[in-house]
Amino acid sequence: MKCFFTKLYILAFMGLVVFFGVLIWNLTFAHLIHEYHARKGDVSIQHEGEAGKKEKGKQTFDTMILESEDRVKHYLGYRVLEEQRIEGHFHHIGFDIGPDNRSYCRSCHGDMPHDKVKDVRAFLNMHAFFVACQTCHVKLEEKDKTNVYKWYDRKTGDIVDSPVNGAAPGTYQAKIIPFVRDENGKLVRIDSEEKIQFALDYKNNEKVLSEGQKSKAKKLIHKIISKTPVTCEACHTKNKPLLPLAELGYPQTRIDSITSTEVVGMIRNYTEFHMPKMLSPGEKPALPQLQPEPLLKQQSELQPKQQPELPPKQH
Amino acid sequence: MRLKSRFGPFGYIGIFVLLTIYFMPARVFGADAGNCLVCHKYPGLSRVDENGEMRLLFVNEEIHNKGVHGKVKCEGCHTDITKIPHEPAKPVDCLVLCHIIEPTSEQKFSHKSVATSLEDSVHSKKGKDGKEKPFSEDMPTCKDCHDDPLFRPLAFVKKVRPGVAEDALGRCRVCHTQEEFITRFYNHITTRLHKSRSPLNIAESCARCHDDPELVARHNLSTSAGGSYGQTFHGKAANLLDESVPDCLDCHVPKGKSVHQMYENKDPRATTHKDNRGKICNSVDCHPGASADFANYKVHAEFDKKSNPVIYWFTTFFIVLTGGTLLPLMAILFLDLLRRLFPNASFSRRKEK
Repeated sequence: MKCFFTKLYILAFMGLVVFFGVLIWNLTFAHLIHEYHARKGDVSIQHEGEAGKKEKGKQTFDTMILESEDRVKHYLGYRVLEEQRIEGHFHHIGFDIGPDNRSYCRSCHGDMPHDKVKDVRAFLNMHAFFVACQTCHVKLEEKDKTNVYKWYDRKTGDIVDSPVNGAAPGTYQAKIIPFVRDENGKLVRIDSEEKIQFALDYKNNEKVLSEGQKSKAKKLIHKIISKTPVTCEACHTKNKPLLPLAELGYPQTRIDSITSTEVVGMIRNYTEFHMPKMLSPGEKPALPQLQPEPLLKQQSELQPKQQPELPPKQH
Repeated sequence: MRLKSRFGPFGYIGIFVLLTIYFMPARVFGADAGNCLVCHKYPGLSRVDENGEMRLLFVNEEIHNKGVHGKVKCEGCHTDITKIPHEPAKPVDCLVLCHIIEPTSEQKFSHKSVATSLEDSVHSKKGKDGKEKPFSEDMPTCKDCHDDPLFRPLAFVKKVRPGVAEDALGRCRVCHTQEEFITRFYNHITTRLHKSRSPLNIAESCARCHDDPELVARHNLSTSAGGSYGQTFHGKAANLLDESVPDCLDCHVPKGKSVHQMYENKDPRATTHKDNRGKICNSVDCHPGASADFANYKVHAEFDKKSNPVIYWFTTFFIVLTGGTLLPLMAILFLDLLRRLFPNASFSRRKEK
């Protein structure tokens, strides 16, 4: 027994020696080598404009937000605020959200897939942050509807408990995914392992596929996607919303907010005045482009005049 | 009597409503009077614009409200947004006459004086002759150095840790009643009484440009300032979050001036001008009594054979000495331990007796 502990002690000590050896190496010779290579790079004078053009294509949500290495710590004395730093972004982000490792749509469409309709692209991308693509883009037939939706973890892909309660709206590390019944009648998530593997195989073999094979593969991947997505009003309504918000863990106050006249009214504003074509692409707008209601103006009229900030009292 | 006779009881109700509004706490009218956070509180609110640039439209309400601009209404800066839904917002002009009444002049507040200082500084886009400098697009604009500023309150009566001192707030509460005003005023004043950012944060901010090798080359700068600062005692202490060491601004901004008033070395107003350099280090706060030559050492000496051969070989010698001594020692220790672990191990076969 004594011998065993002695061996263990020696092993631990050896580990410590290796640790210090690596540390000393990094501080001494590795530092010299790093400096040598850093200085070896030829620094050429390059106009900013040209450099900017080169960089633009490389910017993705992954590199800029989710996996950004450019992090900053604000040392406020009483608190250290650590966050990703986005160049030119003024407001603080304040927290990290990991990438959605489960979604197979993301590998082609990215994290900000909505850009067709200028007026709502940001809203749709915002929803894509906590709602899986299939929730809106797969319209199940009445007989296939299960009305079961669950949250899955963005990093692990596992089904998790509702992250809603206590978290700030939309800051969840999880997304809503619909459930369907398989051939045995068992409830399964719509993004099955089989579909993920198929999409992955397509992505890996895309370069060697013929055009015909590509088309066929794309058709199969998008087979479940409906022509028109679920409308905003399908969820933002008090009358049987598509998503079972209470079952998804939304407290009543949040449900009231999501289905409030304020949100619903704004959606109507957008739909009627800004994007009459959104749900029927290719068609000409039926309504003339009317001026939207100036909500801010309305509010300022409704609200009492703001009290000006008074100068501090003199002592 | 007249009020009652003309409007009945509604006259009194009206007065009551007006009085209620007048005495309502200021926080009721938050910065988000336009209810912008209905949408902008969501972190996923983002898009790719026509130039392929990603635009994150999220505002962290909790952090923003506690920051310097927490009382400023959204439309105070985003002046082009007058209705909801709105078109893509134009870039914010930080020099806009804004939102808050400056209490001493009772005029609308503006950052215009900052722009005036900046235009006269080394970071101006124009040279002294009024012509645009080469690579003027490299010169910093507000957002290159500033994100939404956060308060760094200072505690005089709380020495253990920084932050808002409850004892000091207790004194304020004797006369002032509005809690939000007290905290904000305390934060505002005490933040101004010391470094508004830690030396490390300042160095990081400057280094974003001054350590960019392409930018350094374009502007014929002699050194990557952030990197060389990091090699010094001051830089190493700053890296360990020491607040008392000088950062870039302490040496490069004339005492009593705005941080935006930095001048190039040749400018007689610059602290780094050969006639003024001696005064940087021997201030009462730093090294009182130090001679003028004290500041003439190579502050931003880089570990470079060509530009600083003495420092390079001196440093290399000590690095090799340290590594050359300690690494063999570690190797010997490791081998010794290995022998203790396997006392009978051998590479060669033992001779059979």
